[in-house]
Amino acid sequence: MRAIKKLVPHIFLMAYLLVILYPFLFVLFSSVKTDNQSIATNPFGMPSTIILDNYVNAWVNAKISTYFWNSLYIGVLSACLSILFAAMLAFAVTRMRYNRISAIVFQLILIGMLIPNNSLLLPIYGIMRKLDILNTHIALILPYVANAIPFSVIILAAFMRSLPSEIEEAAVIDGLRSGGLFARIILPLTVPAIVTVFIINFLGNWNEFLLANYFLSNDELRTLPVGMVGFRDAYNTNYAQMSAGIIFSVLPVLIIYAILQEKIIEGVTAGSVKG
Amino acid sequence: MNKALRNPLIYIVFVLPAFLLFLAFFIYPIFTAIDNSFTSWNGISKDVNYIGFDNYATALHDAAFWKSVRNNLYFILFSCFIQVPIIILFSLLIANVKRLKGLYKTAVFAPSIMSTAVIGILWGFIYNPDFGLFNKVLGLFGVESIYWLSDRKWAMISILITNAWQWTGFYIVMVLAAILSIPKELDEAAAIDGATGIQRATKITLPLIMPIISVVIMLSIAGAMKAADIILVMTKGGPAGSTDVMATYMIRYAITSFKHGFGNSIAVLIFLFTLVVTVLYQVLIARRNERIEY
Repeated sequence: MRAIKKLVPHIFLMAYLLVILYPFLFVLFSSVKTDNQSIATNPFGMPSTIILDNYVNAWVNAKISTYFWNSLYIGVLSACLSILFAAMLAFAVTRMRYNRISAIVFQLILIGMLIPNNSLLLPIYGIMRKLDILNTHIALILPYVANAIPFSVIILAAFMRSLPSEIEEAAVIDGLRSGGLFARIILPLTVPAIVTVFIINFLGNWNEFLLANYFLSNDELRTLPVGMVGFRDAYNTNYAQMSAGIIFSVLPVLIIYAILQEKIIEGVTAGSVKG
Repeated sequence: MNKALRNPLIYIVFVLPAFLLFLAFFIYPIFTAIDNSFTSWNGISKDVNYIGFDNYATALHDAAFWKSVRNNLYFILFSCFIQVPIIILFSLLIANVKRLKGLYKTAVFAPSIMSTAVIGILWGFIYNPDFGLFNKVLGLFGVESIYWLSDRKWAMISILITNAWQWTGFYIVMVLAAILSIPKELDEAAAIDGATGIQRATKITLPLIMPIISVVIMLSIAGAMKAADIILVMTKGGPAGSTDVMATYMIRYAITSFKHGFGNSIAVLIFLFTLVVTVLYQVLIARRNERIEY
């Protein structure tokens, strides 16, 4: 009786797991089948002969390597820049002695978090056209950097506030000025929070679709999510090849997740609660 | 001490980059959106005509706009009344199993780190009428093929299911963390007093995690207002606007058919709508949940 009672939750959870994981398996199985016909006749399981042509074709047709590098460098660069700027602001606001101005700056940035992104899409599109940088990567990097700032400032400022003030007293006595204090003492101590913020910012940029879709029209410049949708629209009659494309775009994230899962889960959930 | 930390030049240099970006991409845009919303500007030409509240009047008289508002509400209601109970149930289940806890947590969370666009493509395949997973499974029970994404009856619910599939696990992990942070003594004391597992879950754990549930609901509302990419990828708002949300409605007019002024009035309405829903929720419901001290 007790054994059965212990088993019941696992049955529910395994069912949930099946719902989450089976779609991925379905795509994986489909990606090694010859064509739509073989998917239709044998939808659920592995095919009797495994075909890897789809992967080769998808890689060539979908230009996944181009999209992948675009996404990677835009994602990393934007995440690093927002962290640098946010950390500088967080340092000035929490550590330097301008309490009144700092309080105002901080409050303003908190208010910024309440503005829904979708309301900002058109005006930012307008700004990019005025600056004449639509259809360049800068048109994505600038808004990505800016968009991550409020959240990054909140997390980094919370972390910096918790550092004891004796640290900077000692550093100042040893002759450091505020610039050195930031670069040599506070920044290295903030690394755990920076890692968290980096993961969240990077994932957000890596997965971003709206701006990337409307601000870039040149195929060579596209990021992975937009490129994948374009690929789907072009080859949506060949589901086997499309499945291979999906595997290509999901795999890197899954690998990173497998390695860093604890940090990612902690970072993403902590971020959303505080944000 | 004060001299080192009171250097106006350094302060300005440190604050300015982030603050200017913030002004340029949050504050300035919201004001230009408000300004443009009173014009009939097409987004390109030099001359801009101010037409008062005409854009707002047009939007508020457009049945398609109200349909998109209703779909936003469906998103919110679906997460509050269908996702939240599932989230509570499964986070309680994971918290109470001894084995495989890590596996469940990792697997359940996985979809939420993936690109919504790719999830949309993946589920578009699953919903495919001819060889998609859903119709194949239903076919085993003799159900006729359903055109999930091209049938008005099914398109919206199909998108809601995909959205739930992606995000439920994220919230489960959040609630799970809250459950695991409740001191064990409370549960043990109740168990000694003879409370059953279900009684402990509903009388001890559930009241203690209400604050985090409240956060989950707030985040779901924000998420519902943000949803646009999943719709653009899966149905582009169709069939016949039946899956449009406010954001996709805005994009259709502003970017695709060059009604920039009109699009901006929708942007302002999205802002107001989000504000109203959030404030209503805070005032009516969230305030009742006082802070809990163990």
